[in-house]
Parts: sequence; C-alpha cells; structure tokens
Amino acid sequence: MPLPYTVRLAVQSLFKEPWVNLLSILTIGVGLFIISLAFLIVYNFDMATRKLPDKFSLNVYLDHNLSQERVRNIVGAFREKDAVYSVRHIPKQDALEELKNMLKDSPFVFEGLDDNPLPDSLEIKLKEKALGLETVRALANEALNIQGVNEVDYGEKFLSTIHNLKRGLHSFGAILIVILSAGIIFVCYSTVKILFYRKMDEIETYKLLGATKGFIRSPFLIEGFLIGATGGILSLLGVNAFYYLSVLKLSLSIPLFSSIIFPAQFFLWLPVIGMFLGISGAGVALGRMKY
Amino acid sequence: MIQFEDVTKDYDNQTALRNINFFIDKGEMVFFTGPSGSGKTTLLRLIYMAEKPDRGRISIAGWEADSVKESSIPFLRRHIGIVFQDFRLLTHRTIFDNVAIALRIRGMREREIKPKVYDALKTVYLRHKSDSYPLKLSGGEQQRVVIARAIVADPTVILADEPTGNLDPDTAYGIMKAFKTINAKGTTVVIATHNRELFRDTVRRVLHLDTGNLVSEDLG
Ligand SMILES: Nc1ncnc2c1ncn2[C@@H]1O[C@H](COP(=O)(O)OP(=O)(O)OP(=O)(O)O)[C@@H](O)[C@H]1O
Ligand SMILES: [Mg+2]
Repeated sequence: MPLPYTVRLAVQSLFKEPWVNLLSILTIGVGLFIISLAFLIVYNFDMATRKLPDKFSLNVYLDHNLSQERVRNIVGAFREKDAVYSVRHIPKQDALEELKNMLKDSPFVFEGLDDNPLPDSLEIKLKEKALGLETVRALANEALNIQGVNEVDYGEKFLSTIHNLKRGLHSFGAILIVILSAGIIFVCYSTVKILFYRKMDEIETYKLLGATKGFIRSPFLIEGFLIGATGGILSLLGVNAFYYLSVLKLSLSIPLFSSIIFPAQFFLWLPVIGMFLGISGAGVALGRMKY
Repeated sequence: MIQFEDVTKDYDNQTALRNINFFIDKGEMVFFTGPSGSGKTTLLRLIYMAEKPDRGRISIAGWEADSVKESSIPFLRRHIGIVFQDFRLLTHRTIFDNVAIALRIRGMREREIKPKVYDALKTVYLRHKSDSYPLKLSGGEQQRVVIARAIVADPTVILADEPTGNLDPDTAYGIMKAFKTINAKGTTVVIATHNRELFRDTVRRVLHLDTGNLVSEDLG
C-alpha cells in the first residue's frame, strides 16, 4: 500500500476541515479526561483499602478452660486456611493486662475481681485477596463450627460498607468507561462519515481511475488514528494539569489531598487508548459505508 | 482485447444498448459515433466495468464482466486510461496533482511521478499550468488535463469520451495527433464522438450507434 501518499491525504484532510476535526478532538479529549478522573478516584480508593488487611482482624474468642493442646490445635487449624495470613494467640492474662492498661485511670472497675473473666482469644489477620465480605463471613461460620470456639467477632458493618462502596465504585467506573468509550467511538465514526460523504465525488473518481479499497480507506483510518491520538494527548495534558495545578496546590492547605496517589505511568496510555478508539470509530464508519 | 457478444444494457424502463457485437484488437484505433443519447458513454462504461451488462458477454483483456471480482476491478482499470465526458477533475487540487493521482493510486513513488506528469502535461501543451487549479482553466484546457491524466500511466487501452468536445479545431487536431502517436506505440485507442471531423480523413474503423443499436461499420 502506498502509505506516504495516503498519510498525506489524511493530514491534508485534517487541515481542510479544521472545525469538524477540532470539535471531535476536543470531544475525545474531554471524554478521556473524565475517564481519567474516574480512574483516579477508583484507583485511589483501591489503594486506600489495600492497607485494610493491616487494620482489619477477625477476633475469635475461645471457650474457657481449654487445654493448651486444644488451643494449639485450633491455632493450627486456622493457620492451614487459605485466606489466613497470620494467627496471634492472646492468652487471657495478656488480654486482662491490656484491658487494665487501657483503663488504668479507673482501677475501681477491677476491684473484687479474683478470677480473670476474659477468655483466650485469637487475632486473625487475613490475606489481602481474602478480604471480601463473603470470604470473611464464610470463614467466621467455619470458625464457629470448630470445637472450642465460642464467639467470632469482626467488623461486619465496616467491612460490608467498604465492600459495597468498592463494588459501587467499580461498577460506576466500568459503566462510565464503557459509555464514554462508546461515545468517543461514535464521535470518530460520525466525523469520518461526514468527511467521507463530503469526499464522495473525489472517491468515485479515485475508484474509476483504479484505486483499491485499501487506498480509499486508509486515509480515513489514519485520520481516525490522528484524531484519537491527538484527543488522547489532550486528555493526558489535561489530567497532568489537573493534578499538578489543582490537587497538589490544594494538598498544601488540605492534608487529605496529599494522600492522593497520581499514577502518572498509567495515564501515559491515554494517547494509545485514544488512537485505538479513533481507529475503531473510523473502521466502523468505513465498514458500514457502501461505495 | 475488447469483445462484446450480444450485449444489452437496460436503464430502468429504457434500453441504452441492444445486442451489441464487436471485437477490437490490441493496438487498434477505433471510433464510436452516433447522435446524442445513442449509447456511446454507456458502451465505454461497460468496458471499464462501471456498469454490468443485462445480457451478453463482455471480455476485456481476459477479464469477463460476469465473473470478475469486485476487488479486481481496480486492477483492470489500471490498464485503461479514461477521458471522461464530464472530466471528473478534483477541483481543489492542482493540475499537477490531478494528473499525478493516476500514478499515486498505483503506489508509484513521488520521485518517479514528477517527470511522467510533466511529460504528459507537455503532450497536451499545459506544462506551464501545472500549479494552477481546474476552475481557473478554460473548458478546453480542463479537457486536456483529463487527457493528460488518461495517458500518464501508459495504459494498454485509452477510452476517450468526446475528447475534443470543448476544443477548437486546431487544438483538437493536436490532441488527435497525440492519440495517433500513442496508438502508434501499441496502445489501443477507443474514441467516442459525434464529431465527424475527427475521423474524416483517417482509415480507422468507425462504428455507428443509433438509439442503442450498432447500425453500421465503415472506414473513416
Ligand atoms: N444512469 C442512467 N440512468 C438512466 N438512464 C441513463 C443513464 N445513463 C444513460 N442513460 C440513458 O441511456 C441512453 C444512452 O446514454 P449515453 O450517455 O450512453 O448516450 P451518449 O451516446 O453518450 O450521448 P451524448 O453524446 O449526449 O453523450 C440515453 O437515453 C440516456 O438517457
Ligand atoms: Mg456520452
């Protein structure tokens, strides 16, 4: 295929119809910018919840008066489970010490206390991948079935809130990406269609002179590619400007903003994504065209 | 080279060509003539396969109209240089580009394109207009650009539809001389015209069309 000349045709066309092209480049840029912001939010939420396993633990309270042997067995049983990252045995004496420590300003609470009323307990940390609501719930039920386990306690409400939020954010992000991508493809599709119809007469002449379909189509594909890539570059500049000009500035006065992570390397894909969407739109347009 | 056997072409409710039979050999120069509406343009469109016949068989340099694949038609057309009756010039491109496009669609490199385009423009006395635009040219000049575009790629067949329709007798004579020169080098030339002057003193075959019928054949 005579690539250089078809590239020239595509570039000429970009400048011959500046308004149509500029408008679609801007639309694509804005669309990808919004996608980037959504991605930034979801990404930061995920990063924040990734630290969750450190904080989150399953507390298993054991029956009173279990033998050392039995406690070791129970600990072993938990360690064998896939989802479990670590098991810490807290003997009831330690638990009491801890409690006393916490309440050392009000020692009267412990007056007249001969026996330790607290049970032995296990503090179980989970692996990151196991931190779903279902897994934790299943694990808690399994734990309750183990002989010697009296009670299982975990922040179900907290966990389910995080879980729902995460799921909501993910679906919101996915829907947004799908809709906006479809929109961008549609914009490229319409642009190429308009340009194609405007050149119908010229294309007919090319055909009569012996041009192949490839020769006729490639300028439009290249144009879709250029429009998409330019829109992508525009959105890349946009998110960077957004981050460095507003988020970073705000984080000076509002500390919360300083914990926002900016995954610059991901955003470098924007021009490639734009390019891909642009070619797709052009491809769909050409595929549906009869000429 | 070009063969029609019992070819009929209908448009909607009207027959443009009826039971046409002829054979044009490689290297011939042939005229089709006849009044307006007699089917000259339709006949040429059948040759470059812009139309398909409703009945009959058309064979062009080995390509059969009823079995040719859509995707190989471009390659058939690359053997043919066409002078369109309605010119089909690209109005917002220079004269140079208008002629060069015939080579560019073939994937020729720009370096080789330049001398060929200037050669073709010289043949039609328009070398000095190469940077101008079609609408700034007179009708006759535009027609010569179309002729330059048709000959630039050294086709094996030239189909010229009323190639001197807008030319004064002197220029028309010059253009006809160019066609004869090209024909002398072995190119088959088919000219459709109602201008009897063009073939008055040649000894070429002249095929007469009338309302879609091939009525007679003689030597100019
Ligand atoms: N696309 C078309 N649709 C319908 N009828 C057509 C079409 N093209 C040509 N015709 C008809 O076919 C007949 C032959 O037309 P054609 O253009 O071949 O004539 P022609 O000999 O080239 O005439 P002219 O000397 O005026 O160019 C005419 O009656 C015309 O009306
Ligand atoms: Mg005609």
